[in-house]
Amino acid sequence: MKHKSQDNPQGEFPEEFGSQSRRSFLRLAGFTFAGVALAGCEQSRIEKAIPYLIKPEEITPGKASWYASTCRGCSAGCGILVKNRDGRPIKIEGNPDHPVSRGGVCAIGQAMVLGIYDSMRLTGPLINGSLSTWNAVDRTVAGTLQSLQSKNRGVRILTGALNGPTEKVILDGFLRRFSNAKHIVWSALSQSAILEAHRLTHGMRVLPRYRFDKADVIVSFDADFLGTWISPVEFTRGYTEKRSLKGMPPMCSYHVQVESRLSLTGAKADRRIVIAPAERIALIQELYSALTGKRAGSEMARLGRRLQEARGRSLVVCGSNDLQAQLLINAINHALGNYGGTIDLNTPSYQHQSDDRAVQGLVEEMREGNVGALFLAGVNPVADLPNGSEFAGLMKNIPLVVSFADHVDETSSQATIIAPDHHFLESWSDAEPVDGIVTVNQPVIAPLGNTRSLMESLSIWSGRPKSALQLMQETWSRSVFPRRKKGMGFQEFWDRAVHDGFVEVHPTRRVLPRFRPGSVEPPVAQAVTEGFTAVLYPKVTVLDGRHAQNAWLQEIPDPITKITWDNYAILSPEAAEKIGGMSGDIVRLSLPDGSSALELPAWVQPGQPESVVAVALGYGRKGTERFTSIGPKWLQGRPSTGPNGLVGVNASVFLEFDNGEVKYERNGIKIEKTGRRSVLACTQTYHSVDSPPLLAGEQRHRRPLVQMTSLAEFAADPTAGSYPKPESRSLWSEEHHYDGYHWGMVIDLNACTGCAACVVSCQAENNIPVVGKDEVLRNREMHWLRIDRYFMENDGTTDVVHQPMLCHHCDNAPCETVCPVQATVHSSEGLNQQIYNRCVGTRYCANNCPYKIRRFNWFDYPRDNEKENMVLNPDVTVRSRGVMEKCSFCVQRIQEARIEAKRQGTTIRDDQLKTACEQSCPARAIAFGDLNNPETRVSMLAKDPRQYQILAELEIRPTVSYMTVVKNRLDVKEQDNV
Amino acid sequence: MSDHTSILRSPLILGNKSYSDVTEDVALPLDRSPGKEWWMAFAVSSSMLFLGLAAVTYQVMTGIGTWGLNNTVGWAFDITNFVFWIGIGHAGTLISAILFLFRQKWRTSVNRSAEAMTIFAVICAGIFPIIHMGRPWLAFWVVPYPNLRGPLWVNFRSPLVWDMFAIGTYFTISLVFWFVGLIPDLATLRDRTASNIKKKFYGLLSLGWDGSNRTWLRYETVYLLLAGLATPLVVSVHTIVSWDFATSVIPGWHTTIFPPYFVAGAVFSGFAMVLTLMIIARTVLHFEEYITLHHIESMGKIIIATGGMVALAYLTELFVAMYSGNEYERFAFINRMFGPYAWAYWIMVSCNVLSPQLLWLKKVRTNVTLVFLLSLAINVGMWFERFVIITISLTRDYLPASWDVYAPTLIEIATLIGSFGLFLTLFLLFTRILPMIAIGEVKGVLSYGRASHEAPKAEGRYVSAAHERVPGGVR
Repeated sequence: MKHKSQDNPQGEFPEEFGSQSRRSFLRLAGFTFAGVALAGCEQSRIEKAIPYLIKPEEITPGKASWYASTCRGCSAGCGILVKNRDGRPIKIEGNPDHPVSRGGVCAIGQAMVLGIYDSMRLTGPLINGSLSTWNAVDRTVAGTLQSLQSKNRGVRILTGALNGPTEKVILDGFLRRFSNAKHIVWSALSQSAILEAHRLTHGMRVLPRYRFDKADVIVSFDADFLGTWISPVEFTRGYTEKRSLKGMPPMCSYHVQVESRLSLTGAKADRRIVIAPAERIALIQELYSALTGKRAGSEMARLGRRLQEARGRSLVVCGSNDLQAQLLINAINHALGNYGGTIDLNTPSYQHQSDDRAVQGLVEEMREGNVGALFLAGVNPVADLPNGSEFAGLMKNIPLVVSFADHVDETSSQATIIAPDHHFLESWSDAEPVDGIVTVNQPVIAPLGNTRSLMESLSIWSGRPKSALQLMQETWSRSVFPRRKKGMGFQEFWDRAVHDGFVEVHPTRRVLPRFRPGSVEPPVAQAVTEGFTAVLYPKVTVLDGRHAQNAWLQEIPDPITKITWDNYAILSPEAAEKIGGMSGDIVRLSLPDGSSALELPAWVQPGQPESVVAVALGYGRKGTERFTSIGPKWLQGRPSTGPNGLVGVNASVFLEFDNGEVKYERNGIKIEKTGRRSVLACTQTYHSVDSPPLLAGEQRHRRPLVQMTSLAEFAADPTAGSYPKPESRSLWSEEHHYDGYHWGMVIDLNACTGCAACVVSCQAENNIPVVGKDEVLRNREMHWLRIDRYFMENDGTTDVVHQPMLCHHCDNAPCETVCPVQATVHSSEGLNQQIYNRCVGTRYCANNCPYKIRRFNWFDYPRDNEKENMVLNPDVTVRSRGVMEKCSFCVQRIQEARIEAKRQGTTIRDDQLKTACEQSCPARAIAFGDLNNPETRVSMLAKDPRQYQILAELEIRPTVSYMTVVKNRLDVKEQDNV
Repeated sequence: MSDHTSILRSPLILGNKSYSDVTEDVALPLDRSPGKEWWMAFAVSSSMLFLGLAAVTYQVMTGIGTWGLNNTVGWAFDITNFVFWIGIGHAGTLISAILFLFRQKWRTSVNRSAEAMTIFAVICAGIFPIIHMGRPWLAFWVVPYPNLRGPLWVNFRSPLVWDMFAIGTYFTISLVFWFVGLIPDLATLRDRTASNIKKKFYGLLSLGWDGSNRTWLRYETVYLLLAGLATPLVVSVHTIVSWDFATSVIPGWHTTIFPPYFVAGAVFSGFAMVLTLMIIARTVLHFEEYITLHHIESMGKIIIATGGMVALAYLTELFVAMYSGNEYERFAFINRMFGPYAWAYWIMVSCNVLSPQLLWLKKVRTNVTLVFLLSLAINVGMWFERFVIITISLTRDYLPASWDVYAPTLIEIATLIGSFGLFLTLFLLFTRILPMIAIGEVKGVLSYGRASHEAPKAEGRYVSAAHERVPGGVR
């Protein structure tokens, strides 16, 4: 293959990517795949390979290079490794050495690699909505700023969490040029109250670093810390480590979730207390009183005792943006001695810095006409603020509005100038998510469009134009390098940081804050109001909506509801009965004064109080109209967007500023049925692990799929909770022998949170197409790995379990015997292989799969976008219509590891090979490897007493097995005992 | 000649037909231009056929996604239609081969049409396994043939490969059997037609039939041998089709009772279809004297018998599901009866178990209209039987998380209509081109020509029958 400049990837394969892109891609993919396959065999070798005339450094065709970087999908700042093939980033994986994320990446992080090839990303600067040049932009900005100096109108910069040392220096330098300039930090998922509470109780406006890895007792009030709260990957890892069940007595934290909607975190809790939002403050007060010895006997008092027993090792968190609640939480944690233990204020987190009061101040200033220039980066206030439409109107009065957004969104479309920032994979930048951990972003591809780094733009407008790299190195030599822990020169320091993707330095020196008694006053109890309370929450997949244009994320089923492509009004069964509605009925939620209303489909689900209606934020986003016809086009195909032409509806109209903070709960909501219906693309039609009671007969209802036990029973008997192994006899005369490797997988359901990171990781690794809402509705989603979510009902309490489901690579695979053309066959290493080009598509194999994990190509899924096709993994074939596909255990990775091992003359080590799902799992719930080697993690887990197989009685000998869920209870069926 | 009629048996052919009457009656529709009724029927059936053709074309061009199938339900209308049509064919083979071997003389009036029905039904059936493939243009890969791809061979463990052999054999034998039976009649047509083109056509097909005793003798031998060859097919084909399901692991499919159950069902549905067609044909083409009430009654009795077997199979299935202690199996059957598709199950039971019971009554059995309606009900019921087995079992198998529902798309419905269109169009063309009733065979069961002495005993009948026949062409 001829090497061309990477600067212009659109022109990279001019002929191939022209008229027949898919076919030529297949040809290219086929070449590399065949190359890998051939190199794996000893019999033949590649005889003809055309070398580079001048081989570029770092690039070896067919071999991936990996670059360490930092994920900017949210503000948590997880460490990532970016896989580059032939100059193109194609996969994001976790950086195992990174001190914050420790190897995990969430679903959003995984999906960020698609964003870089987004064809709707701005390719150049826009002035008043039309494409322009950077020169023109710089002239306009400089001119307007000049004229502002004379009038005393302020310059305001509104950004999301901005914690990079360089970014801060540049921004401060820019602002210093103006007499009236201010930087305001705000994010749509505001944690302002936590920061504010710490300002009041500790005199420092910081977000502490929560250490779930040190917490033995966790009480969370509406904090979805495993799903969306602050730094879920970091928290998930810490949380699961504390529940590893290692040792005797088995290590297992006690987790109580007090919440008003069923969250991912609530699904994992040992005890889940369902409350209405209005009851929360009273409960927190009760807990506080119990700790200070004023009350006894109640549930909170018992909980308080349990917390007291774990002084310094307990953790009480609250996700509500309510200052009073947060003040009490601080007092509770102080009373429990958790500051310095599970709550770290010495090296606080910078992951959220939002200041809701400052934003209100900004709006006020805009109303008064005092803002002369507004710069916006990483925020979309028009869509996210409670009074977004007002904000849009006020923006028109500002002489200069510059947005750094990379898409035309609600806010940037109102801006005078859009100066699009690079994608984070294209740019140099840094971040300091936690004090003392400075992370690096390095470009892994030349910018695909004519975009410019935010730092460069600001430096130019400050009159000191420099490249982002220069700016970064300058800042680092001045402010980061002096904080180094080990003595070394700057170049070495810098090189290491870039190589590792992060550097650990001394935290900034500060006076250790003390708790100020008396700062907490007894809260005013909230009045119980009429009507419903709307709980507005972020979804694990699209968060606040900043990733609404990412098709992978839109198609990931929500871990709890299993719905894709929509937001909806979640109602409890009781509430649904009250309004006489059912799932799919379009309901109208309106404020008591009728000022705003939302119409969205209802979804009925247990696990929340009758008075609550939960609606996800981040939907109804401008730009999502692009997905209208994302699926296959055919006679009865329907659009992926709703009646408004967008995906979902924007629920931020229900937000309000209350006492300084954005309130994510709104009381007094009226709900009426509209009489219309809409179907929600849910990937499950049945939600319980029990057979339908009407059909189950008198015998056992529960299907033996998910094993669950209590900690007490587990401590007494490690096999507790196991279903009896059914007696069966194989009709097969001989066993399979695996002399070399025997690949297998164990999934620890006790660790798995259902966060769907593995699903996106698999999608990215294996070129899985997005099929659109209509196809999901028809249950034709293509994900090779799905996560089954079951409700387990026990005497009134409902437990939620997640069970990742993928090809079990059965030794006696039922799919293999029925294929008429031998398109699915068994390998000598236990893999069940699908041979795409032999498949004629009878679907017999899928019918005969008891796990129903096979996926059929019902259509030729659209892959028309040349740019977006660049994300495809060249090691994996893109499947054509009419063939079956399924999980391959990432066979391309096995082959790659095999080649490497062969080159080194050894066998594949356990740490050399990880499947995509395993690699990204923040909870390390998945173990893949060689079952023949007793040293591997998977072999050890396979011998664990908790390990079990499902449907083993069919004698299909699955090589994927699961591990029993252990809840920290005395009796697994009763949550209410500790 | 009424005095020559047996007092013990009612005559098989009414109206005191002479040999030449038979020839005349059967061949006349082929000479006349078709009537308005035929044209109307043809217009309807060919429209259905073209609708189906359009649907299949669109589906092959666009993808299987144009059907309502999904990740959980990989087969529904496609394989239901396949099994349904294959089942229809079985009555033809049973009538022409097994009843021949058992010397059931009444078969002579219906066997030609029934065999034609078999062939057309197998054609309809054979289309579905091909178009249900994701890549139908590669359907030939299921045939083991020497190739340069390795060579890649088929998977002989797969019931789909067995299917391919079973259906291929079935179609071939049925076609040859039918054609051989047609030869004397083709010669008759050749000899009586005035049109040159027709003479060439029939002449070519009649393979130089001369009506000599020797020819007749050879013919009878071949026919007997072919009947013997075709007989096991009645059992084997549907047995193999049932293995598609019986060898799988899906509850509701994995059942050892399937082979006899499917065969009984096939014969049952086949006779219902024969009845439907024969009742229409005898009315439209005025063959009441050939296809008599006696025929309808006899077929009604077969339906009672096979319907009983089917009912027994249903009950056995339920009993085994309950008795086995296998919770998935048990659930699969309870779900059939009371789950989301209970309506389909109860349509099946009403049509296949309850409705045939009416045929115990002679009054019903001999009422042509009622029998016609019952035959339609059984056709519907047997289609639903396959739908219940194939689709409902798939919708809810082992993991509740993968349970799903299935609903057909317009394309699937059009394809089903199209398969009926193909069947009816072929049948209508058949009534115009070939003699619907086996002239030569019917003449053998007439009392005509046995005026002065008693008819020979049944045992020696077929040996002596040969010389009694009027050679084709001599009128």
